Amino acid sequence: MEKRTSLFGNLFEKAARRPFCLILPLIAYMFVFYVYPLLRMFAMSLFSPDLTSRHYQSFFQTAANLYSLRVTFEISLLVTMGCLLIGYPMSYYLSTCPARKANLLLILVLIPLWTSVLVRTYAWITILGRNGIINQLLQKSGIIEQPLKLIYNQFGLTIGMVHVMMPFMVLSLYSVMVGIDRNLLKAAQNLGASPFRAFRKVFLPLSMPGVLAGSILVFIISVGFFVTPALLGGPRDLMISMVIDQAVEVMLNWGFASAASFILLFFILGIFLISGKMVGFDKLWGKKI
Amino acid sequence: MGKKFFAGIGLAVFFFGVCLMGGGNSTVYAARQVVVCNWGGNSATFEKECFYDPFEKETGIKVIMTSPPDVAKIKAQVDSGNIEWDVILTDLPAILSLTEEGKPYLEELDYSKLDPKILAQVIPEVKQKYSLGARIYSFNIAYSTKTFKPGTQPKTWADVWDVKKFPGVRSFNNPYGGIMPQYEVFLMADGVPPDKVYPIDVERAWNSLSKLKPHINKWYKSHAEAVQMLVNGETDIACTIGPRVIAEKWKGAAVDVEYNQGKLAADNWCIIKGSKNKEDAYKLINYIMDAKRQACLASQVPYGPSNREAVKYLDPKIADDLNTSPKNLLKQGWQNVKWWVEKGPDGKTNRARSIERFTEWLLK
Repeated sequence: MEKRTSLFGNLFEKAARRPFCLILPLIAYMFVFYVYPLLRMFAMSLFSPDLTSRHYQSFFQTAANLYSLRVTFEISLLVTMGCLLIGYPMSYYLSTCPARKANLLLILVLIPLWTSVLVRTYAWITILGRNGIINQLLQKSGIIEQPLKLIYNQFGLTIGMVHVMMPFMVLSLYSVMVGIDRNLLKAAQNLGASPFRAFRKVFLPLSMPGVLAGSILVFIISVGFFVTPALLGGPRDLMISMVIDQAVEVMLNWGFASAASFILLFFILGIFLISGKMVGFDKLWGKKI
Repeated sequence: MGKKFFAGIGLAVFFFGVCLMGGGNSTVYAARQVVVCNWGGNSATFEKECFYDPFEKETGIKVIMTSPPDVAKIKAQVDSGNIEWDVILTDLPAILSLTEEGKPYLEELDYSKLDPKILAQVIPEVKQKYSLGARIYSFNIAYSTKTFKPGTQPKTWADVWDVKKFPGVRSFNNPYGGIMPQYEVFLMADGVPPDKVYPIDVERAWNSLSKLKPHINKWYKSHAEAVQMLVNGETDIACTIGPRVIAEKWKGAAVDVEYNQGKLAADNWCIIKGSKNKEDAYKLINYIMDAKRQACLASQVPYGPSNREAVKYLDPKIADDLNTSPKNLLKQGWQNVKWWVEKGPDGKTNRARSIERFTEWLLK
């Protein structure tokens, strides 16, 4: 057969022999739209206009910022645990379903991702609000007299964020669980383990890569969350993203905003490194043990 | 790896770079034009109908609308020298952000370029160094008419603080969206007469708000949020922009505004620093400030016209709902911009300090 000799044909052939070339467009893209702006921002946080650490100092000198860093960590942890608590049994069930049913259910998990976060957040206000569905039901059935305060506090905020983050957790868990060989569980039970013991000693450890990958993903996205905490949270739920937004939009202090962003970035990197050291980095990527 | 391969990639990157650089400022316009950045939405539709379309027809100068007047975008345009906008419609906090520290991001207005006859009709309080009042907004007592039948609503800020006489949940703004703490309101609630509010006794203001804190259901970030909460019954009383609430009232929502003790301020026309169409920008502003044209907008979008003559062209029923109707204007006081931009010994303005303090106060 005659060899294709067009320029592009040649390029693709050569590229295919060196798979590394295939990620060059991605690297170029990331460089232009991620690395370069990131470096610019880093410079902005250090110069104003002369080299200074004052933006970083002012971050750590203000109690509100440190508080915000703590709250951000707490809320993200709460959301991660919430997602894990609901997502784990759900993914377990999904992984036991036949493929067709599992696909259908996975679409239901994914649908919320197609709706804007803002819309989903407002939906929670109509459900949990003072005149929302839950309060109306409880009041009409005489269980309570005064409406419960379900939103504008950490409770409502956590519910809203868990809902938004759930697909990330379920997909991470499901992808690992579906690959676990169920014969191992049968073997354990054959050898005399109770179903619960078989789950605890065999399935749970095997599913840990999914748990870790999902938790890290949910935690890191939660740390930067903005819309849901602002709308569903109370006055004390000051996420670090809101501090940064305020510095950019209200105070026009971009040096400080850049410094705060880098502190957040280092904060996340730190958590990532610690959890990597603790459990091994290959597990964080969801690699099978 | 072949040389051609790298040449191809190099070429692609080059063209890509050219596209990036060319995106902003290389466009050449043949016709005269002014780019107006406004708040978009419903208001922009009627601004187009009352201002921009007739202006285009009369002068042949094209008006291009864009939104919203994002402070960060204005800063980025001026800092990079890549200026796309000319005329900006924005509120006081934004203007303060843009002009109070270092170099101003807005042009100092040259009032000699505007018609003195029209300027004489404009409310004097809104003629500022960098901005000219376009329409008047006000912080008012907004309430749900489901909770308070007409006549039984709280009529003063002291009433709003009186949770026994006026039961219900309250909403106030938080500092995260740039809305300043309502010092004037907090002081009036504590018994300071409206004309004695300035200079502000900051400690007294915070003590006053601390008393109401437990009864505030939601600290909202944007006025849209506050109005939405009033409309769907999440809150009974909100301290928010009266005209936005009137707009919902006109649409049939169970909400209303008590104008007594309101705090007036202006949405303003400004010109971005280094505007490329400055002369035409002044022409457009001049055109818009006309009483009849302002009346046209106010009949659709219930912000008070800054031109005092505009009320004459309005249906009295509509005029009664506006914050600048002669009757309502008397009940309210103007926000003193000078106090808010005053700098303390630390070099920070009262505004900047109030927002920092508000953040700390909320976390307590």
